[in-house]
Amino acid sequence: MTIRVLDPTNEAKPAAGEEAPRLISLRGTTVGFISNGKEGAKEYFNHLGRMLETEYGVAKVVHRIKSNYSAPADKHIVDEIRSWHAVVTGIGD
Amino acid sequence: MQQLSSRSYEVDDLMSAQELYHSNGWTDGLPVVPPTESAVRACLERAGLPPDHVIGVESVREQPITAEKLAINAVMAGCLPMHFPVVLAAWSAMVKEEFLLHGTTSSTGGCAVLVIINGPIRKEIGASGGFNALGNSDRATACIGRAIRLGLINILDVRPGGIDRSTLGHPGKFSYCIAEDEEDTTWTPLGQMRGIPPGVSSVTVMASMGPRQLMNEWTHEPEEILETFAAEMRASQRHYSIYGGNQIVVIPKQLRDILQKAGWSKADIGRFLHERARIKRKEWADVGKGAVVRDRGESIYTALDSPESCLVVAAGGPAGGFGAVIAPWMGHKTKAVTVPIGAKYVKREEA
Repeated sequence: MTIRVLDPTNEAKPAAGEEAPRLISLRGTTVGFISNGKEGAKEYFNHLGRMLETEYGVAKVVHRIKSNYSAPADKHIVDEIRSWHAVVTGIGD
Repeated sequence: MQQLSSRSYEVDDLMSAQELYHSNGWTDGLPVVPPTESAVRACLERAGLPPDHVIGVESVREQPITAEKLAINAVMAGCLPMHFPVVLAAWSAMVKEEFLLHGTTSSTGGCAVLVIINGPIRKEIGASGGFNALGNSDRATACIGRAIRLGLINILDVRPGGIDRSTLGHPGKFSYCIAEDEEDTTWTPLGQMRGIPPGVSSVTVMASMGPRQLMNEWTHEPEEILETFAAEMRASQRHYSIYGGNQIVVIPKQLRDILQKAGWSKADIGRFLHERARIKRKEWADVGKGAVVRDRGESIYTALDSPESCLVVAAGGPAGGFGAVIAPWMGHKTKAVTVPIGAKYVKREEA
């Protein structure tokens, strides 16, 4: 005799976000970095920022740090993203 | 009752069912009870909830958590319908903002969700706070704790290497649930200490590291017993995380008899440990962490945010001077949450 069993996973997936327009060039842009605030992120993001300025012509690099490394970025940081051309985020651990 | 909305699969037999769940990554590595529609419906009926009732939404990834999916995972974990209201209540606590569900379940820190059951439901479902309280003490706590983990794996994709980025994790990630031994103590149950009315069952959830066991069988002085607990907290602050938050203190009968006889309440214990469990940042230099002491060596860090942050639980077998301290995942970044158990509560939350 067969058994009919149920799927335990979350089949109701949330709607995907809308992709931002891609940049053709980084020259003259403002790029923001959102760090989780851990030790490993600090130097790495600083180095990447300098590379973007010297090698890719980025006009301005902005560094922001989340107030809680395990929670989503603070609202004021998320709101600020609108004024940047590109944003880099990641986990430094 | 409404139709269930989950996709279903037809399998030949019990072993085929196991392979279906294992091959899809839907288990914790152990066999599961095949979740049939009738078993899942029995859980939902016991809780008085429709299948599409949303217990909460995991806010970071916007994942809704429905009663139907929780019931499926509870059945897989071995839960009986009478266990399901406890699972529901635990999840309703885990989705509270202060618990920080995404952070606690995805962190490299590797904590597990500890569920502590209080009130009359313990006796109804056979949840024991006696022998082997932090281990495999009984069916109810084993299955309820496992239901929490399977729900995380399957509903929120908290799989090792996926959302779960734990470096090590700990054995409590299979199942981590205890009941307080309310009958064999004069102390106020944890649920009531945290605002639940007498006679109402509750769960307390905390993002918890593994239990750190201690022993002191050589004194009848309450302060000396509690110094051992304080020392364990200080050790954890030095070796693991210096930041204060909630701490769970599990005290077995042999030790609590001494404390109770001398008139110490849970609140007294919280005050004592808040005062004694604290270190200076410069102590990090003693344990190889001198690089992050910086100019704050004299700063004092308490293991407990406040005396009330100490969650004292009466549990354990009748003999042995073994206690345990269970540290929080990362200080006060997460907070223990206590809620009453019962379908009425869940429905009121929705309203």
